[in-house]
Amino acid sequence: MRKLSLATALLAGSAITTPVFADGHLKIVQGDPLELTIQMNHARYPVYEEEWPVEQQAREWTNINLVDVTVGANMRTDENTGKTEALNLMLAGGNIPDIVGSSRIKDFVNQYGPEGAFLPLNDLIAENAPNLQAYLDERPEIASAIQAADGNMYYVPYLPDGKYGRAYWIRTDWLEKLGLEVPQTVEEFEAALRAFKTQDPNGNGLADEVPYFARQWPELIRLVTLWDGRSSGSDTYHDFYVDDGTLRHPYAGEGYRDGISNLARWYAEGLIDAEIFTRGSSARDFLLSENLGGATHDWFASTSGYNKLSSEIEGFEFKAMAPPASVSGKRIEEHRRIPIKPDGWAIGYTNKYPVETIKYFDFWFTEEGRRLANFGVEGQQYDLIDGKAIFKQEFLDAGPVNRSLYQVGAQLQGRGYFQDYNYEIQWSNEFALEGIALYDEGDYLIDQFLGVAFNADEQKVYDKYWGTIRDYMLERQQGWILGNGDVMEDWADYTAQLDELGYQDVLAVMQSAYTRQYGGK
Amino acid sequence: MAEEHTSAAGQPLQEAVIEAQEARRQGFNDGQLTRLFDHFKREWQVYAMLLPTIIWFLVFLYKPMYGLQIAFKDYSIFRGVAGSPWVGLEHFQTLFTNDQFLRAVGNTIKISALNLIFGFPAPIILALMFNEVLHASYKRTAQTIVYLPHFISSVIIAGIVITAFSPTVGIVNTIMGWFGLDPIYFLTRPEWFRPIFVGAGIWQEAGFGSIIFLAAIAGVSPSLYESAVVDGANRWQMMWKITIPSILPTILIMLIIRIGNVMEVSFELVILLYQPATYETADVVNTWIYRQGLQSGQYDLAAAGGLFNAVVAFVLVMTANTLSRRFSRTSLW
Amino acid sequence: MMKWNLYSRGDKFFAIAVSVLIGMFTIATLYPFIYIAAVSFSSGFAAQAGKVVLTPIDATLEAYGYILKDPQFWISYRNTFIYTIGGTVMSMLFIIPGAYALSRPQLKGRRYFNLFIAFTMWFNAGLIPFFLNMRDLNLLDSMFGIILAFAVNAFNIILLRNFFEAIPQSFEEAARMDGANDFQVLWKVFVPLSKPAIATITLFCIVSRWNGFFWAMVLLQSEDKIPLQVFLRHTIANLSDNDEFAIVQTAAGFSAETVTGAIIVSSIIPVLVVYPFIQKYFEKGILLGGVKE
Repeated sequence: MRKLSLATALLAGSAITTPVFADGHLKIVQGDPLELTIQMNHARYPVYEEEWPVEQQAREWTNINLVDVTVGANMRTDENTGKTEALNLMLAGGNIPDIVGSSRIKDFVNQYGPEGAFLPLNDLIAENAPNLQAYLDERPEIASAIQAADGNMYYVPYLPDGKYGRAYWIRTDWLEKLGLEVPQTVEEFEAALRAFKTQDPNGNGLADEVPYFARQWPELIRLVTLWDGRSSGSDTYHDFYVDDGTLRHPYAGEGYRDGISNLARWYAEGLIDAEIFTRGSSARDFLLSENLGGATHDWFASTSGYNKLSSEIEGFEFKAMAPPASVSGKRIEEHRRIPIKPDGWAIGYTNKYPVETIKYFDFWFTEEGRRLANFGVEGQQYDLIDGKAIFKQEFLDAGPVNRSLYQVGAQLQGRGYFQDYNYEIQWSNEFALEGIALYDEGDYLIDQFLGVAFNADEQKVYDKYWGTIRDYMLERQQGWILGNGDVMEDWADYTAQLDELGYQDVLAVMQSAYTRQYGGK
Repeated sequence: MAEEHTSAAGQPLQEAVIEAQEARRQGFNDGQLTRLFDHFKREWQVYAMLLPTIIWFLVFLYKPMYGLQIAFKDYSIFRGVAGSPWVGLEHFQTLFTNDQFLRAVGNTIKISALNLIFGFPAPIILALMFNEVLHASYKRTAQTIVYLPHFISSVIIAGIVITAFSPTVGIVNTIMGWFGLDPIYFLTRPEWFRPIFVGAGIWQEAGFGSIIFLAAIAGVSPSLYESAVVDGANRWQMMWKITIPSILPTILIMLIIRIGNVMEVSFELVILLYQPATYETADVVNTWIYRQGLQSGQYDLAAAGGLFNAVVAFVLVMTANTLSRRFSRTSLW
Repeated sequence: MMKWNLYSRGDKFFAIAVSVLIGMFTIATLYPFIYIAAVSFSSGFAAQAGKVVLTPIDATLEAYGYILKDPQFWISYRNTFIYTIGGTVMSMLFIIPGAYALSRPQLKGRRYFNLFIAFTMWFNAGLIPFFLNMRDLNLLDSMFGIILAFAVNAFNIILLRNFFEAIPQSFEEAARMDGANDFQVLWKVFVPLSKPAIATITLFCIVSRWNGFFWAMVLLQSEDKIPLQVFLRHTIANLSDNDEFAIVQTAAGFSAETVTGAIIVSSIIPVLVVYPFIQKYFEKGILLGGVKE
């Protein structure tokens, strides 16, 4: 048996800011290493590789070895549908390992945790995981968001750092060519798009410009914020949002109605990509490289990279612009990185060493552990300069940084850890950084909806009605944009139909779950 | 005329005849048990040939069929089938009281009907056409090419279809433009979904589907055609009077099986081609279940939907099978 | 086939019209292959941007380089051959005798056996019960398991049985009179007479194995046993970046689309090579004559 002395336990849990020597203060067990089995399956790392440098370093420091027993290793969790078949197979097989880590684990553990498949972590964390507990104490909304309906936490999440996700982008070189300023209001934005369409900024004599385009068509609906509507409360499309403690759905609001009405007008006029619903993920690549696309709403990191097209298209400049002011003068950026993902890891109920395991989870929240999870191993991927982790230049040059990090076992979304935005800054392109500074200055972000966990009764109501309601909303939404029907005329019937489909019931259960979970904040 | 069924396909009559022949061989006074015993002693080889297959079905397909219960339980993977509580017909109730599910059922049937009317004859017509091509290497090359789309995954086929029907660069709208017609955003129009979907399916599968019929046609005796030439028939008449009747049993079997597939519309292709704007005509049972299941791993609801599909299909097949057996002696069982 | 100069004018017109229609359909069905081949030889960015229509854009061999250098590609390719050949042989061992037995009128309870088999075409147990069954049989993560557990299907049995039933009884009787037992009748009489049918079933088995990926993905745990189609999906998953972190891939000349294209083209080549051999059996030459009726 591996017994822990109190002193060792305290030392293992404390965060020490001085550089780590091989003094064993992070060790969780004495003597022989403790082996814990782990299931971890993700699109890009289908099993937990014991050979990962990060794992090797963690073993050396904590004296805990993770042993891979992943079931369904050849399945790939589909990031779009969130299907976690590997987890289901593991559960069906009847052997739950000591640790289960995955993307999209939240719904899984919140369903099976209360049934007994996973250990509740609240007390374990409070008693044994001081770093993690400190993090949760500072962010009570995240502590609430992790909970299942019975009030227990069943997983330790992957916690992204960095605030911004998407921004508005526009061809500033076209604006300049046409003598326009960067649009500050929705009216100016509309005028700019119209100018793109009618004044031939790409200079080829054809009215082939596509003023507003998007890789995912719900980014078109995002624009309803310009008429004080909402399109989603989180980084998932079509999600509910919280308005001062009350749950609402954006597609039932009057601002949304006004927004759709205007977007339908824009679409009819050709200010929006005629193929926006079917063009799909090639939209940005195609329209920008063919010198056709004018503006979009997309991720900072990836979109900024397209400025390299300036070597092929003369004068090409695609820069972030501040969100235009809405009709009532508000500027908001509705999309932001969610601070807590449904990814992370949990403790299986057969685990004989829950205390050691939770300390292991806590290790990743110490300064060394966090750095290990984010940057890799000191001396291999990065050097510690003035207390900050700076990637080696050859590492940055070796290819997409994220992929390189997965390959050494860092930045794993199946691991519960707190990301460090500094890792991303080091390879962010100048245009992205410029845009982020712009958004920081204006403080456009708004509160996010972090999701709720239903109890069985609430889940029944939600499952019964919500799918149908959502499908109906989307059908009408696309129809209105395409010009089938007029949203203003149809609105009364639409809202009546929503109620008939059970919309009020769904709102009620969401509200009750929210109030219970977040204390009605 | 070699038209009578001298084959073994005429079941009850033949069985009775053979029984009688056996009885005659053994003498009239033997008991039934002895007759049965002698039957196995004589015919053991036939049973021996069948046994491995039967065992295979039992071990791999029938043994897990306890899983059909999931449709009647509140299934939790953790608790397992045995540990999950019964809920009777609750899932079916959930399905049938949901208008969108019912609409999806309607769409499934309508698309399958279109597939039956257009998609089923297509491979047959193709095979018959191949039969009329004289140039051997042209025929062989064409045959090899037309079945290629079957190997190209639906994702790529869907991508090609979307591009072809694109309102700005698609070839279909381009051709329409030559005739002065306005462009149509086809894949957002409910009325266009089914024709496009069925057409894409034919394009992808007709070639591969014609192989069965090519094989059947290859089994038709050439002497039949030779005597028809002597009788002065032309190719068109020969096709109707010789080829088609000869492959009729194959056509009927394939038809029965196709009827049995009425609830199985190619889920993957629908997902890739449909939009909320076309849910009205495009949403089928399997895609509806898929979207429902996105919320939580609703295996039990999906199982109920699957069971519903299976029962409907099976009832239809039984009917078709019985009719076919009565009128043509060809049947699945 | 008939001689062309014996054809009447009407027949000639008919034959030409048919050939032209076939030609048009052939061109239409050739397009997807040309398209995917063009994608596979294009640059990653061009393919990702959807610019490829008929010919490669910014032609490059990077996609092929990527897969050919990956040992897993070759391992998966080899595995696909093993599953296809092993699986098809295994299937024939069950299906041919089974279909023969079911086609014999003297088989008692024939109708029930047929129903027993046909039933499985519609009713199946579901993913998890099937998975658990394989686990109980100790066939998880086993190449033999993949070969055995999918060796038989009702459709092929029914099809072959149907063909066997169409063979005139006179052939069997002639063989019996020579003293043949059932095995010999099957092997020496029925099989040679059913070449087109057996060729068809063989082709279906081959194609189904060649394309099969779902159960291989679910049942196999180790990566060195996966077939090509699973490798394809892994590659797509590996090369698709998620939004938060994607940087435009300029350094690499390939993308998920071009590598997918390269894998698909590589997997179709054997199919193109094998089919002409099977086609031979669809030509005329089955002598059903020679027996007095």
